[in-house]
Amino acid sequence: MSRPFLGFGLGLRTDHYQHVIEHKPQVDWFEIISENYMVPGGKPLANLDKIRADYPMVMHGVSMSIGSTDPLNQKYLQKLKQLVDRVEPHWLSDHLCWTSVDHVNSHDLLPLPYEEKTIQHIVDRISQVQEFLGRQMLIENLSSYVTYNNSVMPEWEFVNEIAKRADCYILLDINNIFVSANNHHFAPRDYVDGIDSDRVMQFHLAGHSYNGEMIIDTHDHDVCDPVWDLYEYALQRFGAVSTMIERDDNIPAFPELRKELAIAEKIARNTLSKEQLQLSNHSLLQGVA
Amino acid sequence: MSESEQLHDLQQNFMNYVLGEDSDMVDKIESTPALSAKGRLDIYAYAYKSRLKEAITTDYDKLHGYLGDEQFDTVMERYIEKYPSHITNLRYYSISMSKLLSEEAPFNQIPVLAELATIEASFADSFDAADHRFVTVNDLAELAPEAWATLQLDFQKSVQILAMEHNSFEIWKALSDEETPPEATKSEQAVMWIMWRRSDLVSRYRALAEPEYEALKLAKEGENFSAICEKLLDFFSEEETPMKAVGFLQSWIEEEMLSELRA
Repeated sequence: MSRPFLGFGLGLRTDHYQHVIEHKPQVDWFEIISENYMVPGGKPLANLDKIRADYPMVMHGVSMSIGSTDPLNQKYLQKLKQLVDRVEPHWLSDHLCWTSVDHVNSHDLLPLPYEEKTIQHIVDRISQVQEFLGRQMLIENLSSYVTYNNSVMPEWEFVNEIAKRADCYILLDINNIFVSANNHHFAPRDYVDGIDSDRVMQFHLAGHSYNGEMIIDTHDHDVCDPVWDLYEYALQRFGAVSTMIERDDNIPAFPELRKELAIAEKIARNTLSKEQLQLSNHSLLQGVA
Repeated sequence: MSESEQLHDLQQNFMNYVLGEDSDMVDKIESTPALSAKGRLDIYAYAYKSRLKEAITTDYDKLHGYLGDEQFDTVMERYIEKYPSHITNLRYYSISMSKLLSEEAPFNQIPVLAELATIEASFADSFDAADHRFVTVNDLAELAPEAWATLQLDFQKSVQILAMEHNSFEIWKALSDEETPPEATKSEQAVMWIMWRRSDLVSRYRALAEPEYEALKLAKEGENFSAICEKLLDFFSEEETPMKAVGFLQSWIEEEMLSELRA
C-alpha cells in the first residue's frame, strides 16, 4: 500500500493556542480532539479555524463508543460530520472501545472481549459510521487493565480482523501497546509483528505512569525510552507512518514538546531513508482518506 | 440469550462496577499475580470518578475557591452520585450544579453557592455560544422610519439574563482577582444581570436597572419596539419614553448584544 505520510505532528491543546497562533512553529500537522470543538461557537472554533489555516489536521474522537451495545449516537455523528466539513481533516479516528451502556457514559475508553461476536458487532457499526461520514475512519488500540475471561484471541488479531472486515484503518498507539503488554504480560514486539501493515495509517506516542506493577495511560510524562525503542521497531516493520505525541496532563511549554517530537523525527531519520520520509502531497492525501 | 444481549450484559455489569452498584464483574475478569480482578476493575472505577471530578473542577473554579478543597470535594461526590453522566461531551456534564446546590441540604443553606454556580455555568455557555453577525449603528441608521413601530430584535445566543438575590457577582469577581471575597449579603430584592460575549470573544456582565431589564425581557421574547415603549411608560413620562427606548437600543447595539434587526 502507498500509505500517505503527513510527517510529525502534535496533539493541539488549549495551553498552546497562543504560541501556535503567534509563532507558527514548525510542526507538520496537528491532531485535534474532536469533542473539544463540538460546541456552537466562540473561542474554541475561532482558534481552531486560525490554526487550521496554517496546518494540516487530523481529527481524533473519544466518544463514538463504537463497541457499545447502545445504538450509535446519531446526534454525535451529525456533529462529527459538521466538524469534518469545517476542518477538512486528512482523516479521523476513534478508539476500539465502548464508553457508554444504557446511555450512561463512563467517559472512559473501556475494553472489549476479544471474540468473534464482538468483531461482527463492531464491524457492522464501523460500516454504518463510514457510510454516514462518507469516508473511512481509523480505529485506535487501547491501553487496558483488564482481560475478560471470554476473550479468545490476542488483541492484535482482534484489531486486524475488524480493520479488514470493516475496511477501515488502524491508528497504532505505540505507548498503548507498551502499557497493555506490561499489564497483560505479552511481548510488545509480538503485537507490532502481528498487526497488518497495510492497515496502519498513524502512530500515537505518549508517556505513562506506574501504579504498582500496573502502568496507567496518563499522557502526563515524556515518552520513555522503551516506548522510543518500540517506535523504532514499528518504523522498521511498517516504514514511514504519520507520527504524533499526545500530552494531556502536566503539559509542558510548546517548545519543550516540540523538542520531544524532534526525538521521533531523529529516530525516523536514522531508521528510514529520505525517500521513505518524503511527505505525501495534498492531492494524494485527499484521495486516500 | 442473543450475542448482542451477552455483550450488553457484560457492559452493564462493568458499568455497574464502575458506578459502585451491584456487579459480579470480578468473576468475568482474569486475575494475575500482579493484580487481582478487583484491583484491575478498581482502576476503572477510580478513573471514572476522577475524570468527572476533573471536569467539575474545571467548570467551577470559583465555587471551588469559595468552598475550599474539602467542601468542594463533598459537593463533587454528591453531584457524581446524583448525576450519572447521560451526555456524550464532558463539557456539559456539570450543568446541573446550580440545581443541586439550590435543592439539596446542606448546600442550599448557603444560597450564594447556587448563585456562584449559575454565574460560572453562564460564563461557560457564553464562552462557546453560537457565532452570529453583530448589528451595527449603520444598520440602525438604514432603518426606514415606518419600520420602527414593528421592529423586532434578535439577540446574540450568548446573551443571558441572571437573577441574583445575593452579592454573588462581587464574590465571583473577588475570587477571580484572587482576593478575599466579601461576606455574602442578601439584597432587598433580586438584582438582574446581563451576561454576553462581544466580538473580541470576551464575555462581559453588568447589572440591569428595572426599566432596562423590562425592555430587554420583552425584546428577547420577540415583542416589537412599540410594545417595549408601552412598557417603558410604567417608568418614564410620555416625552421621555421614546428617547429612553432608543437609548437602550443604541447601547445594546454598541455593546454588541444584537444579531439582527427585523423590520
